[in-house]
Amino acid sequence: MTAHHATSVAGSITAGNRGGTRRFRFQPAWLFIAPSLTIILIFIVFPIFQSFWYSLFNWRIGADVQEWLGLGNYQRLLGDELFWNALRVTLIFSIVSVAAQMVLGYLTAAALLRDTLFNKVVRSIYFFPTIVALATIGLVWRFLLDPSIGLVGGIFAAFGAEPIGWLQDPALALPTVIFVSVWKNLGFTMVILLAGLTGVPTHLYEAAKIDGANSRQLTWYVTIPSIRPTLLFTTMILTINSLQVFDLVYVMTDGGPLFATDTLVTKMFREGFTNFDIGYASAIAWVLFALIMILSALQLRLFRYRDVD
Amino acid sequence: MRKIAPAIAATVLAALALSGCSQTPATPTGPVALSLWTGFTGGDRAAYEGIVKDFNSSHPNIQVTMDVQPWDTIAQKLPSAWATGQGPDLATPNFDSNIVAKYLDTKSLLALDDLGTGDTQINSDKLAPAAVKAFTADGKLYAVPANIATLQLYYNKALFKAAGITAPPATVDEFRADAQKLTGNGVYGLSLADHETIQMWPILQWLDGGDVVDAKGCSALGTPENIKSLTTWAGLVTSGVAPVGLTGAESDTLFSGGKAAMQLNGPWAAAGYTKAGIDLGVAAVPVGVNGPVTLGSTVPLAISAASKHPKEAQEFLAYWTGKQAQTTFALASGFPPVRTDLADDPQLTANATVTAFAAALPSARLWLPGVTGATKVDSDVYVPLIGQITRGADVASSVADATKKINAITGCKG
Amino acid sequence: MLISLRAAVKWALLGIGVIVILIPFIWMITGSFRSEADLFAAPQSLWPTTWTLHGYQSIWEELPFLRLLFNTFIFAGVTTALLLLFDSMCAYALARINFRGSTVLFWLVIATLMIPFQVTLIPVFIELFHFGWLNTYQGLIVPRATSAFGIFMLRQFFLSIPRELDEAARIDGAGHFRIYWRIILPLSKPALATLAVLHFMNLWNDLLWPLIVTSSTDMRTLPAGLTLFGGQHVTDHAVLLAGATISLLPLALAFFLAQRFFVAGVATTGLK
Repeated sequence: MTAHHATSVAGSITAGNRGGTRRFRFQPAWLFIAPSLTIILIFIVFPIFQSFWYSLFNWRIGADVQEWLGLGNYQRLLGDELFWNALRVTLIFSIVSVAAQMVLGYLTAAALLRDTLFNKVVRSIYFFPTIVALATIGLVWRFLLDPSIGLVGGIFAAFGAEPIGWLQDPALALPTVIFVSVWKNLGFTMVILLAGLTGVPTHLYEAAKIDGANSRQLTWYVTIPSIRPTLLFTTMILTINSLQVFDLVYVMTDGGPLFATDTLVTKMFREGFTNFDIGYASAIAWVLFALIMILSALQLRLFRYRDVD
Repeated sequence: MRKIAPAIAATVLAALALSGCSQTPATPTGPVALSLWTGFTGGDRAAYEGIVKDFNSSHPNIQVTMDVQPWDTIAQKLPSAWATGQGPDLATPNFDSNIVAKYLDTKSLLALDDLGTGDTQINSDKLAPAAVKAFTADGKLYAVPANIATLQLYYNKALFKAAGITAPPATVDEFRADAQKLTGNGVYGLSLADHETIQMWPILQWLDGGDVVDAKGCSALGTPENIKSLTTWAGLVTSGVAPVGLTGAESDTLFSGGKAAMQLNGPWAAAGYTKAGIDLGVAAVPVGVNGPVTLGSTVPLAISAASKHPKEAQEFLAYWTGKQAQTTFALASGFPPVRTDLADDPQLTANATVTAFAAALPSARLWLPGVTGATKVDSDVYVPLIGQITRGADVASSVADATKKINAITGCKG
Repeated sequence: MLISLRAAVKWALLGIGVIVILIPFIWMITGSFRSEADLFAAPQSLWPTTWTLHGYQSIWEELPFLRLLFNTFIFAGVTTALLLLFDSMCAYALARINFRGSTVLFWLVIATLMIPFQVTLIPVFIELFHFGWLNTYQGLIVPRATSAFGIFMLRQFFLSIPRELDEAARIDGAGHFRIYWRIILPLSKPALATLAVLHFMNLWNDLLWPLIVTSSTDMRTLPAGLTLFGGQHVTDHAVLLAGATISLLPLALAFFLAQRFFVAGVATTGLK
């Protein structure tokens, strides 16, 4: 009750500031958004539009005249079987790694919620992989997974099993990369969910317990609804990031073997910086952008965004 | 939105005004300062830094600063830097010699005209012919070789002795026979890499008289010799004589860990293998059906068309490819010199690594020289082709598929 | 004093997780003390057979190490501070102020997350050239001083802070800025601390961006400087692993210190 009243009071105060006049009205919002907006416009939005421009041409850096292709690059994409492969790989990677991270992240955050020293130590340990630089992670895991001299291979050999080429087998490479990605990012997800979980007011739990709720009901009816903004945020961020995965794949497999781990961004990188086909690479980026927009809109709908606002 | 516009305009103007704050003061007259970007990270770096240091100390009026960055970073920054008239005076744009064509497209390279026989001139007729050919377009030379490397046969003497083989293989048939004999007890006969590596597989094909792309830019994969060659070698992989799907680094690791008896590799690996405790032997690549052949690889070193000091930059190139610098460099790195007139230099002949790799220069072939879309042919067609046939795919049909793709990329007219 | 099955399973799984996470790190840290030969001869072993400091020595001798460390602190530290300020301001406006264009702005912010960073590299590189900001601190810091991720995360967090607190302050005569500074920010310590750690860490480890902006070694950050040791053909693993270990230490420290702020619920129960 009070929340609604409060919103309408707040609304009426700012409505007074807006008003239907044509006079120059100073909006306090400007000051708040000015720094971020400026940087975003200059260094992100403008370059993004430039890249869209490039995608309409057979863009050669520094050429005097660029060859206009209109939607030619996009048509070429539709007929490129490696593009469809990259799309498939990217979607599988995203769905599996996001699901794994959300589930495992929530379980670890919930398990380590209380601020005991033991929990703090275990949390730090779980967070370590996120701290280390990606290039190093790739190097270390490649060594560990090397079929001839790797530690993982050594453990398998101790059990008498054949060494497995984790990153060499086209069927195993993608699951392996997904595993390393979850390994690296689990701490990150856990930390965000922790921040959300610690923000849940304890009085809500007390009230529910008074009503006789057990722990499962507490989780389902108190915790999860309370952290819905955080869950939405985490899922969206994880999805957006995993659809754009590049560094990890580049360092571990460079899209191989036989393009089994070739994601949209590794393909884009290859087209843009190895084959110097900037226009084509930009077209891939924009298709990816459209894909991410669609998936994000779906997620917002799924989490019933308007209720949260 | 109208309300946000003034705020944006104000901040953009402020940003532009700020840009004046970081302008560098005008450089006083003094030595000419040249900037050089190279990708020589890792163990090789010291030898290249030596060249630059020696040049700077012997040329007080020209000072060169070398900035070493990863190859990927140079590939990302250099094209736009040079095309917009900024960036370094000199650079090695890529470790792949085919890159020169891309920079010529954007008219970013200076045509080298200070050629001749003098010490301060670029002696282009004394440089490795394959490299000069790769860097010449329309009769003009656009880059000099920063280095030139060949692949030779590394072999593990201890493993050879254990298998009862007294000498490294001299012909391609002996090569295959020895590889099979050496396999066993957790050891591969031959360590092969098929991606993220200096290419080894083309050598295997060349040894049998096969090829990948012919002189006209069309796929030569479909010839009977080639199919037979690929089938045989792929068979060796599937039967466990050579590993499948390794990168260059993993292939090196296999050999330096003593888990493979032979490897085709370049001069950079010798020091590491010796340090790893391998009883190392270096031999010429076994002779193929058409005579000795191996793969050569050269890194272009070029000058920006927008450089303000073209003359001094060319003097630097002349020094780099000059006799003194090349001798020192070869001794420091184990690479053969890029000059053809140092074959009798006593210091070099005394160095076993240099001699071994320099001996292969005359029979070295570059990988896809002058082929349109070479990088795409390599990454999108050749590497997957090898990956497929080494995992058991039918060679003939894979080759037919690859031929179609290659011809589409190179625009082969048949 | 029986441990319930559920608790036992929970601790077992956590324990496995800890092992799977720690082993690569142990390998990495011990590997930084191993010679190349040792690494290849006994890769399965987690413990060096021959100890060497040559990895650490090479870094000290061949890189302007203190300068790189300084650059990295400046880049990561200043950018993180600016990020927290700008992002929280923008998030406050989006969460609390009902201004025209707020929905558009929110979608714009989200949209910028959806374009891969590599796409904007070349245009930004050219922009920095035109501003004269290449190879400068401002070139490194300013383009990264705001993050759509941060704005989004803080907006979600601010939304979950009850508006009663705002109202109470407004009745006392507080304007937006005071509400932002005195009420919202202090209550957001968990989120701000989390964001600070995540950003600092990402910036510290960022490889591509410093390499793009800088063109001389003494403007580089530590990860960028360490790329000097990863060769195309030959790699000195002890050096790389030593570099990674050194790079890791400040971050581990920062995270452990920030743990204090993840205190459960205290902040948000201050309803009155």
